[in-house]
Amino acid sequence: MILLKDQVAKLYNELSEEYNFFAPVKEKGFIAYRKISNPEEIELNYFNSKIPPKEILFPQNEVLFEFKTDGKNVVEIEDRKDLDEKNILFGIRPCDAHSFDLLEKFFAFGDFQDEIFLKKRENSLLIGIGCNSPKSTCFCTSIEGHPFQKDDMDIFLVDLGDNYLVEGISDKGNNIIQRLSWLSKASKADVKKAQELEKKAQDLITTKLDLTNTSDILESNFGNEIWKEVSENCLGCGSCSFLCPTCTCFDVIDENAQYENRGRRIRIWDTCQFCLYTLHTSGHNPRNSNIERCRNRILHKFSYYPLNYDLIGCVGCGRCIQVCPVNNDLRTIISKINNIKTNEENVNV
Amino acid sequence: MGDIESENQDIENSIKELARNLLRDKEVDVIIGYTKGTVPLSSSPVFITREEDTDKLLWNNLCYVNLANYLAPRIPKLYDEEGQKLKVGIVAKGCVGRALIHLAVENQINFENIKMIGISCNGIINRKRIEKEIGEREILETSILGNSIIVKGRDFEETFPFDEYLNELCKVCKVKSPPNVDDSCVGECLENPVIEDDFNDISDFESKTSEEKWVYIKDTLSACTRCYACREVCPMCYCNLCFVDQNKPIWFGKTTDFTDIFAFHFNRAMHLAGRCVACGACSSVCPMGIDLNLITRKLEKIVKERYNFTSGMDKETVPPMMSFSMDDKEEFMMEED
Repeated sequence: MILLKDQVAKLYNELSEEYNFFAPVKEKGFIAYRKISNPEEIELNYFNSKIPPKEILFPQNEVLFEFKTDGKNVVEIEDRKDLDEKNILFGIRPCDAHSFDLLEKFFAFGDFQDEIFLKKRENSLLIGIGCNSPKSTCFCTSIEGHPFQKDDMDIFLVDLGDNYLVEGISDKGNNIIQRLSWLSKASKADVKKAQELEKKAQDLITTKLDLTNTSDILESNFGNEIWKEVSENCLGCGSCSFLCPTCTCFDVIDENAQYENRGRRIRIWDTCQFCLYTLHTSGHNPRNSNIERCRNRILHKFSYYPLNYDLIGCVGCGRCIQVCPVNNDLRTIISKINNIKTNEENVNV
Repeated sequence: MGDIESENQDIENSIKELARNLLRDKEVDVIIGYTKGTVPLSSSPVFITREEDTDKLLWNNLCYVNLANYLAPRIPKLYDEEGQKLKVGIVAKGCVGRALIHLAVENQINFENIKMIGISCNGIINRKRIEKEIGEREILETSILGNSIIVKGRDFEETFPFDEYLNELCKVCKVKSPPNVDDSCVGECLENPVIEDDFNDISDFESKTSEEKWVYIKDTLSACTRCYACREVCPMCYCNLCFVDQNKPIWFGKTTDFTDIFAFHFNRAMHLAGRCVACGACSSVCPMGIDLNLITRKLEKIVKERYNFTSGMDKETVPPMMSFSMDDKEEFMMEED
């Protein structure tokens, strides 16, 4: 099917009554995914958002529930009422769509089902757009992704210039497409053009990371000297993890409006880079310096995720590479890790 | 101003030579400097211990991190295996020197262990402004040509006038080289600098009404994600536990509701009054492109006017926040500015 670019407003009008319609907008100089109320806000010319769209399903601050007190004890808990709302995430990129898979694995791991996240995930429909021009820092193809990866979407669009080639991927997505009876038919030329764009996009990805053995190397090199080197100039800020589509850590706090006899429990993004993250009540901190904190970030994504979920905990969006204040480049870190093995092999020989 | 490119080359050559000499003569164990970044509009702080590695050192107008930060970290670094403090050579533009001096005044560092490789800084590019103006096009390469910054991408090339696209704080900087204290400076340095500053650059901001200022502050800060890159890159933010991290009990809200963001930034600003050295690193590293320069400039001005003090100029003057005098002016407490 074909969706003309000037029909995006029509798409919005048709679906926004039933769905919260999230789309890329320009905000303070960068792209952000926001719930829009006017289709004119949608920005269709973009690479990707500064903050990943994970913030829609897992916002930086999220009220888990609110409560009433009698001044001393909690007397009533008010659960969230908005979890049944349906969402459309329009225009998300394949890497970020894949991150939702990873997030789901985390929030549904073991006996602990995070109902708030899972409910929202279930009620969200992903209309993704392939990346015609990936950035030089993109490396999705190194983790079995692709700038035109469709699997994680419900509906997949290819930007053909003046219009989008529309493909239903899931049943949910196909149902929506059926409702949009005004979509025109795609021609063979459209399909061919999409294939050409796909090939071209893949060729534009120049960053290739060899992650074949990284997980094994990491497992046996916890105490390696390399961590000192890798963390040497790290400042210990949270920009890499706050802008990471797969980071899931959060802190939970209670806020109490004492004189109103009300309160709320909120979860707030946290990161293993912060000093409070592993601080024990005793005052002891097992990850006391940047060395342990940097190591944890890398191990979590490239060792613990593979061990726990059989997946790499990174989607190759390259955001951390772009924002790190001291340019502590993930690509360099990975290649240093991969080199550990080579060196040791040489020693063994 | 001469040719920026050749200025940079001269500065870089001088850094390399001085660093080599310091390592060769065993005057220092490690050099902290800048090396080339892997992405455009960046540089990367680097630690160099071998003479032959000094070639990695670089100077360009993107050396935005204040390296003094690495000498006053929360967790002590820069000790050898026996726990002896390493002697450090540090590439010092003016604001790095000022930060080191102020840290010494606050008893955080000792110049006995430090050699400043003084340079005369020719300004740091406002990378976030360029990034925003280029918008949704990918910058692949930047260079300096004549008095212009050239930014290239796959199918575009744009030119920005160098002087205009410097950090706002660099535009009004009066301390390009580090003041020399305890004879710790090699290379370019200032002897007993006296600076005059009219603070004209913030008069527009100051002439705004309280409401207008509030709108500006709200608009500027509301993008904050509280990643604390500003704090972590700040050489003056060395507290073992920042006020905003106090959690027994919690002192400040931790959310990104505007009231919490505002409380963090303004309390941090208060803690930097008379201490900030105007390096602008906080704005250069903010992932969300928040520019804090007006706030820091205003603080600098207040401290200058009330106490005739500029941070990090010498080791002898007692900073206003470390002393008390019955004559201290205090009428500003009631003012709306």
